[in-house]
Amino acid sequence: MNAAVDGSRLRAVQGQYLTFYLNEETFGLSILCIKEIVEYSRLTSVPQMPRFVEGVINLRGHVVPVINLALRLGKEPAPPQKRTCIVIIEINFEGATADVGVVVDSVSEVLDVSGADIEPAPGFGARLRAEFIAGMARLGSAFVILIDAERVLSISEMASLAITASELNGFTVGGSD
Amino acid sequence: MSVDDALAAFEEEAREMLTEMESSLLAIEGGGTDPGLINAIFRAAHTIKGTAGMFGQDGVVSFTHHVETVMDDARKGKLTVSSDLVTLMLRCCDHMGFLVGEGLGRETRGEEEAAREKVLLEGLMSFVGGDEAVARRAAKGADAVQGASTAAASEPAVAASNSDGDGGDTGTPDGWHVRVRFGSKVMREGMDPLAFIRYLSTQGTINWIRSELLNLGAPEAFDPENCYIATELVISGGIEEPTIRAVFDFIADQCELTVEPCSTAWLTESRRFPAQTPEPAAAASTASEPAPEPTPAPPPAQVVASPAEAVPVTSGGDDGGARRGGGVPAAAAGKGGESRFLRVEAEKLDQLINLIGELVIAGAYSSLIAQRLRDGEMLEAISTVTGLVESLRDTALNLRMVPIGATFTRFQRVVRDLSAELGKDVDLQISGADTELDKSVVEKISDPLTHLVRNSLDHGLETRERRIEAGKSTVGTLQLHAYHDSGSIVIEVADDGGGLNADKIRAKAVERGLISPGATLTTREINNLIFEPGFSTADAVTNISGRGVGMDVVKQNILSLRGTIDIESEPGVGTLTRIRLPLTLAIIDGFLVNVAGGAFVVPLSMIVECLDLRRDDIETASGRNYVNLRGKVLPFVRLRDVFEKNDGVQRRENIVVVNYAGRMAGLVVDELVGDFQTVIKPLGPLFKMVRGISGSTILGSGEVALILDVPSLIDLATRIEHHESDRVERTTL
Repeated sequence: MNAAVDGSRLRAVQGQYLTFYLNEETFGLSILCIKEIVEYSRLTSVPQMPRFVEGVINLRGHVVPVINLALRLGKEPAPPQKRTCIVIIEINFEGATADVGVVVDSVSEVLDVSGADIEPAPGFGARLRAEFIAGMARLGSAFVILIDAERVLSISEMASLAITASELNGFTVGGSD
Repeated sequence: MSVDDALAAFEEEAREMLTEMESSLLAIEGGGTDPGLINAIFRAAHTIKGTAGMFGQDGVVSFTHHVETVMDDARKGKLTVSSDLVTLMLRCCDHMGFLVGEGLGRETRGEEEAAREKVLLEGLMSFVGGDEAVARRAAKGADAVQGASTAAASEPAVAASNSDGDGGDTGTPDGWHVRVRFGSKVMREGMDPLAFIRYLSTQGTINWIRSELLNLGAPEAFDPENCYIATELVISGGIEEPTIRAVFDFIADQCELTVEPCSTAWLTESRRFPAQTPEPAAAASTASEPAPEPTPAPPPAQVVASPAEAVPVTSGGDDGGARRGGGVPAAAAGKGGESRFLRVEAEKLDQLINLIGELVIAGAYSSLIAQRLRDGEMLEAISTVTGLVESLRDTALNLRMVPIGATFTRFQRVVRDLSAELGKDVDLQISGADTELDKSVVEKISDPLTHLVRNSLDHGLETRERRIEAGKSTVGTLQLHAYHDSGSIVIEVADDGGGLNADKIRAKAVERGLISPGATLTTREINNLIFEPGFSTADAVTNISGRGVGMDVVKQNILSLRGTIDIESEPGVGTLTRIRLPLTLAIIDGFLVNVAGGAFVVPLSMIVECLDLRRDDIETASGRNYVNLRGKVLPFVRLRDVFEKNDGVQRRENIVVVNYAGRMAGLVVDELVGDFQTVIKPLGPLFKMVRGISGSTILGSGEVALILDVPSLIDLATRIEHHESDRVERTTL
């Protein structure tokens, strides 16, 4: 996703997108960063992490963090059901790639989206941090928000949120009082 | 393999070779007489030169060449390896290390380095030519001066204009190494290259000559009227540099000429023109020029090296060398070393161990299912598989094991240099060098060990005078000892110096506020205070140690390796520092517990015992977090509270009693599951701020369990408690 690095609003390019549901809303994610989709199995929660970090799972011997995407995007998550699954995404982190899983309610289909069908993210109205939106894909009469995985799942940003969360709980090294 | 990869491999190999050279030199200095040692030094220099040449690292090549020349003489028995030579060679090793770094653009040459190189080269020159030449030079180079003036006097007019007859430097080497690259138009302008050489031969004695065809290029571009010849020769017999240069005056603007002093002993080594041709093959095609003097054939050392030398060492690096056990590591890398070791990328090994870790987990899962199915045949088959998988895991982990010898040997140099600097006589004794431990632990233990060794040398061992006063031998002893002890490796650094001054440490600790003035501490506890942050009892800060940042960093490093450090000292007798480390970082002996439905692993090495947490125990403590453990107060931490995992269900609870740095504490958990050996998986950067958890592991069921970091967990519990009591105080105020 070379388009993700430039600062312009429209960072999505034409290509294939996986659509999925989060609490009855459809989102899209470029398939270039998707490694695989696994069943939602039992997670091990890690203490002192923000609420959107659900925990870790064992992905064939690797311990992979799992993010609740709905919570990360500021939505209320739907309770897990039969079709809930974890999409494993490859994220760049300090020159290497790291795997991160995101919980989605269900995956729908892979769509070919042409460049003409992609609109820049609106400045407001999506009720979502604008930088999280790579673009809006026109699908018939509706729009699907294309998520910018690199920003939504930025490990350094999420880790810094973890610090803030533990500070609020008074767990920091220096004590917060 | 990209150029960068190749360069990285070159650097790694060069550094390994340098280490090998260094340890061989030190072994020689320590009285080693094995000719294999000198051979190893020569071979290392030769390999470095060869590979550096392949990468165009000219700085390394030219310097190393001189080192190689001197070592070649030593190898052939022409030069005795004196302690002066060892000292010089050690410094050369350091400089070669710098040159390698410089060639890769990692270091820049300052005045100091340039001056150092000059001094080293002069030093090397003084050894050139073997014992005889050294002795002759010492006797004085008078002959050379005389010879030079004779030659100048009988010189025809051609050279006369430029020659200055008096030029008789003392210390002139006995010959000149002349390299001339004739310009392509030389023959067209009516000059015959041979004529110059022939004339030169009348001026002195040409000891050796060799010609090459350069820049031949493609056959169709060949011009028979062009000159492609380059010649190098060694001339001796009292001729002087200006005389030589004057010979080529006619074509001065059409040839490249270098004249370097050398000794005729260089004839043992061929020199090449720096390859400037696009195709190195052209430079390699050698053509013999008819020479006036009978010429020795170009020495084969470089061109037709024996296979063992030509192959840029594929094995027998530091690990391989050390496998022989500390003493003479370099010699081990010699004959036949190639076939015994295989160099494997660490990553591939890690991958293998990861896969085996998964296999262990998958195996555990299948045996779980087999048990559920109660199929006897199936159970039997699975148990065979499990047995095999376990031995496979042990073998794989063993692959990562390397002897600690290589790390120990490195300290010979540290001790040698430091003791010279401090003016102390120190005898370094190494034992248990073949004790094996995980490669990743070896890498991380080197720095803390260096610090301890330096500390012992600087503060531990007394000066010669003090030792005489104390009635000890003037030579101090520093011992490095390693051995295996119940699943861990123990490394001891011991000196027979003055020992720690407990009163001084105590006073200092009180001054720094680390302990209260009235505290009762055992000597051992006082001694271990030196590992507290900001503690240094050295009266003067030297450049070796004493800045007070050392020992606590050492302790942190050891703790981060899940190890422990302990110091024992007796005033006037000596100090012993004992480091205890797990054999590997990849595997942990753990004890599995359950807390509010989540699985946690406590490192087994820290567990003392497990107890029932009885209701009346809690009630007696009236809401406070401690119990009575056989008459002692045992504070405890509720993992449910610390991890905020309260599911509201009240179960019977258990206490796991852990011992951390001499303190006892209890961890309150729901359920005790049992001990097992497990592969550690890091949690990744996202969780780096999580305290109380050091990593994770995968259980047989495929579930992830978190590994508790006991020291930081207790620390965390302490902070939470303080925080809460603060809050209570504030609300009551």
